[in-house]
Amino acid sequence: MDSVNWGLIMPLLILQALLAIIGLISLAKVEHTRGPKWLWLIILIFGNLLGSIVYFTVGRKDI
Amino acid sequence: MKSVWVFYQKEMLELLRSYKLLWIPVVFIILGIMQPLTTYYMPEILKASGNVPPGLLEGYVIPGAATVMAQALGQYGSMGMLVLALATMNSLSGERYSGTVEMVLVRPLTPATLVIAKWAALLTLLMIALGLGAIAAGYYIEQLIGSLSWSTVLAAASIYGLWLLCAVSMTLLFSAFLRAPVAAFLGLLLTAGLALAHSLLPSWLDWTPAALPDLSAQVLLQAGSVSLVGPCLSAGILILICMGGASLLIRRNILPN
Repeated sequence: MDSVNWGLIMPLLILQALLAIIGLISLAKVEHTRGPKWLWLIILIFGNLLGSIVYFTVGRKDI
Repeated sequence: MKSVWVFYQKEMLELLRSYKLLWIPVVFIILGIMQPLTTYYMPEILKASGNVPPGLLEGYVIPGAATVMAQALGQYGSMGMLVLALATMNSLSGERYSGTVEMVLVRPLTPATLVIAKWAALLTLLMIALGLGAIAAGYYIEQLIGSLSWSTVLAAASIYGLWLLCAVSMTLLFSAFLRAPVAAFLGLLLTAGLALAHSLLPSWLDWTPAALPDLSAQVLLQAGSVSLVGPCLSAGILILICMGGASLLIRRNILPN
């Protein structure tokens, strides 16, 4: 894996983290989600890109 | 006209408050970056997953810059369209179910004002997301694969954007009289049906909006002259029908049935 330029992959990881952080902020602010809140917390932290998309599209009631 | 502008500003604020203006562009940028990265590092990814037959990787040639850009735009046709339809589905039906549309429409406003403002806000969101995504994809392609002509990228992204806008407009139409999930489902189904019909009968249906993704790829690959008039015109008519239909139907379906 020496040939992989991590400088190019880092922005991808940062953006995914940013998406999860936006999701976590919205989860902290919102009163009710579809389904239990703790489940969305786990999905946002461990779900990567798809987890965040599913949270924003399905989890939020006021999408 | 002034009321459309006021409504548009309210819609943009709502897109920001519901985080759509943040998360949808970020998803589009991630999708745009991922395509060149996975194409470039495909041998590494295969090696890391193990069990690669010997000799397979020697034959791997990285596709040209324009091809990868076309593939990146193709990502927006599947994943991006899904995200956009899901983000659009609630725009009119949410207002109906929460009862705000009644309060809006008892004022001296036409339903068309509401629909145009919603549509313009969604168009802004689409342009921001697709623009940032295409720039990110283009930057990565320049870094990893080869140089691109940015004017063709702009043209191809605009053509692809028109196709996405058709899908968004159809979802908006359905959300004027159906529940949100049904609206998203029908919008996506109709878009997919149109795309399927075009892929089965390309010569008959090359004037429909479904020809736009193919034309976008042709513009990128500079494969001869492309006739854009038919698809662009039919896309414009489709969008106008959707907005007119949404304006008519929302007046009749204020109360959710």
